[in-house]
Amino acid sequence: MNHKSPMTPWLFIGPAVLLLIMFSLLPILVSLTISFTDIDLIGLGNWDTIEFVGLENFINLIQDPLFHRSIFNTLIYVSIGVPLVIICSLSVALMLNYISSKLFTFFRVLFYVPSITNIVAIAVVWAFLYNMDVGLFNFVLNSLGFQDVPWLEHPFVAKISLIILAVWKGIGINMLIYLAALQSIPRSFYEAADIDGANKFQKLRFITIPSLSYATFFVTVTTLIGWLQFFEEPFVMTGGGPLDGTMSMALFIYERGFQYNEFGYAAAASLILFVFIIVATLIQFTFNKSKEN
Amino acid sequence: MRSRKLMFIAGASMLTVVAGCGGNNGTEGNDNANEGNDNANVNANANEENNAEEAAEISVWAMGEEGNALGEFVEGFEEEHSNIEVNVEAIPWDNAHDSLLTAVASGEGPDVLQLGTTWVAEFAGAGAFLDLSEYEDEHDFINHDDFFEGALDTTEYDGATYGVPWYVDTRVLFYRTDLLEEHGYSEAPQNWEEMLDASRELADRGDGMYGYDIDQEDQLVPPIFAWQNGWEFSEEDGAENFAASEFREAMEYYHTFFDEELAQETEGVPIEQGFEEGEKPMFSSGPWMVNILRDEAPDIEGDWDVAMMPGSEKNASAIGGSHLSVFSESENVDESLEFISYMSEPDTQIDWFNDTNTLPARQSAWDDEELQEDEKLAVFGDQLEEAVAPPVLAEWENIAQDLLSSLERINREGADLDEELDSFQEEAENRLD
Repeated sequence: MNHKSPMTPWLFIGPAVLLLIMFSLLPILVSLTISFTDIDLIGLGNWDTIEFVGLENFINLIQDPLFHRSIFNTLIYVSIGVPLVIICSLSVALMLNYISSKLFTFFRVLFYVPSITNIVAIAVVWAFLYNMDVGLFNFVLNSLGFQDVPWLEHPFVAKISLIILAVWKGIGINMLIYLAALQSIPRSFYEAADIDGANKFQKLRFITIPSLSYATFFVTVTTLIGWLQFFEEPFVMTGGGPLDGTMSMALFIYERGFQYNEFGYAAAASLILFVFIIVATLIQFTFNKSKEN
Repeated sequence: MRSRKLMFIAGASMLTVVAGCGGNNGTEGNDNANEGNDNANVNANANEENNAEEAAEISVWAMGEEGNALGEFVEGFEEEHSNIEVNVEAIPWDNAHDSLLTAVASGEGPDVLQLGTTWVAEFAGAGAFLDLSEYEDEHDFINHDDFFEGALDTTEYDGATYGVPWYVDTRVLFYRTDLLEEHGYSEAPQNWEEMLDASRELADRGDGMYGYDIDQEDQLVPPIFAWQNGWEFSEEDGAENFAASEFREAMEYYHTFFDEELAQETEGVPIEQGFEEGEKPMFSSGPWMVNILRDEAPDIEGDWDVAMMPGSEKNASAIGGSHLSVFSESENVDESLEFISYMSEPDTQIDWFNDTNTLPARQSAWDDEELQEDEKLAVFGDQLEEAVAPPVLAEWENIAQDLLSSLERINREGADLDEELDSFQEEAENRLD
């Protein structure tokens, strides 16, 4: 029964590798290639008209004020959104971990629901909540004696509004990861701490948080990648406005590529985003490694 | 550790690719609401009709509401032509642009397709459609002068004809007769001066009250103002068109409404509600709005009306709608033309109007009693005669969006109107090069 064929491992990983090549590596290579061309809709129909333009797309991108704006906005999204998601989902998970089992199930579902709700449905509801004149948020603020907040009408406030929405939507999945990690911390650690006379805060500080470091690392990396590609929220809520204040890199790419058919230009922009993501991820890995050592 | 790193990177790249996917906001979509796909039904119907054995099959792509209604509508055609079987595929407006892109890229598409007027240049330039002018001698419905001139204009690109007008739409002024009456207007404002005056009066009613509501995201609105001021776009002049005083004045006029808060700058309530409650007593929109108001605001029935757009030089509006085009790779050109011919006959156009409430592109269809009797519709008929088609340029979409962005900066950031429009003109020049 112990005949080892050299083919066996290939058979196991074959399907996955094939899918990876077809749907990830190949598209990346194609987009890398077309980012050096001027391909547009006409080029799509007739390949003879496609011209190799070298670095022109990249040079234009560097000079495109809208692209600068989209990078700036994306960095704001990431630098506010990612820490917020991690803090919120960790706190929710910690609190859920303290309460009784029935309530636990109920709240777990409650916090998870936004993650699986269709973004279009969310957009409809939140657009009304954020409406300056008839929205619930401003109504509540007004009755408390505060001024109207221009939720989606001011370039900076609109960014914050979208971040709030995305955090609300993003807590669920990360909370689940934290909950799973929390429940895998051995009970014996806490028992030992009890014997040593540690209080609740000390247990949290010296046992729970350190035990969650890998979960935190995982959540940070995936959340960061997700937020660098911030797309759905501005796409459905603001279309990048007002005054391009919510334009993200991913939305910029989408608009260039699919609204204006500038495929080469969009591919070049997506390549830059790709580099951003890889650099950010590599930095985190290096950081994590040096911490481990 | 290394393999995990690789996996992360692969995952990241996958996400990058995914970022490109997603819906498309149909700029054409008058009516995105109903995205139901009646495909299954349509196919079933088509199969039942399959009595002639050597029937040629043509596939038709129709978008949105029209797609849903066309499936049943083509039975009339199939009865007349037992040798042709029509397969209608309903495509939601949101997917229409992407579907067309895919068809162009793969060379596999339908025989006949519905084409929004503003997409002609974009796709015709890519060679997606058959030049119908070659068939003009055999088929008199191609370039027939009975179609509205504005509709025919948008079928032409680069000296060739890429479609036959199917239905049209145009924007007219919707106004509250009772509120305007209170402020001394027994009829709608006829020109720019009256419009501005009426708007000021109405906005003066108090806080949160406005005059004329302007949709800042509608890329047809700024050109409509310019056309009303006698502006004409000529292709030879390129970006110089945007230096014309008619154009600049019109943009200043447009800005006045936001500057004096006669139009709401922020999102506000949906227009149907604002109109019903009287905060926004005037706005401009297309024929679809008539039924929406009848259904959703029955309380003000009789207190509102439609009128031609006020202008300074002419009462211009924009013409929109859809054409029927033949896909360049189609193997059933004769049958496709037969189908388009049927759809463009005045009688068919009247039937189609009765089914879907879209406005006939043929002027003689407007002689029909029902169209004549409905006073609101008659206004659309009059407006269509004064309606201008947006330039058929592949770059137009880009330019129109740039213009909206510039106007937004002028309205919201207080950017200097002339400087902003100068830089818009410069940008347009780069795009047109």
